[in-house]
Amino acid sequence: MHAARNIALCTKDCVCLFICPTGATDTENGQIDFSKCIDGCRLCVDACPSHALYLVPGTYPQPQPKTEPVKTALLDLAKSKADQMALADQLARESEDPVFRQLCKTVAMSNRILAEDCYREAGYILPQSNAVRQLLKELVQKHEGDDAFPRDAVEALLAKL
Amino acid sequence: MEDAMRELSAQELGALCSNLQKACSKQMRSEEAALFGELASFYDQRREALPKAEYRMLLQLINDDLGRAYAEANEQASAVKDRGALRALVWGEKVTKLLKSLLVRYEKQQAGLLENTKVWVCEICGFVYVGEQPPEICPICKVPSFKIHAVQKEAV
Repeated sequence: MHAARNIALCTKDCVCLFICPTGATDTENGQIDFSKCIDGCRLCVDACPSHALYLVPGTYPQPQPKTEPVKTALLDLAKSKADQMALADQLARESEDPVFRQLCKTVAMSNRILAEDCYREAGYILPQSNAVRQLLKELVQKHEGDDAFPRDAVEALLAKL
Repeated sequence: MEDAMRELSAQELGALCSNLQKACSKQMRSEEAALFGELASFYDQRREALPKAEYRMLLQLINDDLGRAYAEANEQASAVKDRGALRALVWGEKVTKLLKSLLVRYEKQQAGLLENTKVWVCEICGFVYVGEQPPEICPICKVPSFKIHAVQKEAV
């Protein structure tokens, strides 16, 4: 568990810079240097007057189980949202009217967010979950022989997660 | 999760992967986020275009969601008291109603709808808003307005 900084809350009181025993809080990009941060130390988290620092967990429990009917209903809804996203993107692409394109882009963006939320609640909430691992393995199989498929990315994910 | 995965289209897999990309970003795992991003882009580019895309098809899909899909999903989620799913359905149904009203208004007002004003989307729940400034707090998911973004009008 290492510390992270919510830069929107940070009021630059610098107490984290004074208290950090390794200098991990003092960086040019405003984020903590995770390679220097001591696992579970939390000195900066407790010292920060603006509550801008928090600990990022290293491991997570498996998500709450979903029943098959709930999962099916949410995957059906996600499909509808993803289809609306694709349709709106296509309508935007095929139009030359800037206002219509802006409208379609809005509809597409909103629908992607709606679809993503359905997938979260259908059991794909945690990247480290068994459900996601199984999905990634099935994608590798599905795209066997497909050279454009980013196989290396999926293998890297399976190794890292 | 032992049962076989259902066949998902490119647009479905694109959204599933961009969801996991966001989850990795929230865990401060930027490398994993980038890898899921790569996968999401792959699927976004693999989408099959419809032979004839029409505006009214958007409204048909929305009407089916509002007239049937949300009621059915709510019934299933209520039966097992899945409050996480119910939360997503409450937000999603509200956003879908707003999208429907936006599309219906566009049919009447055409370009006038977005003339001299801006259009906004909440990155958390998909809330859409037409106006000069977004609300200070998202009325649907209650995040502060810095998570509500203007959609740019781009030249063709």
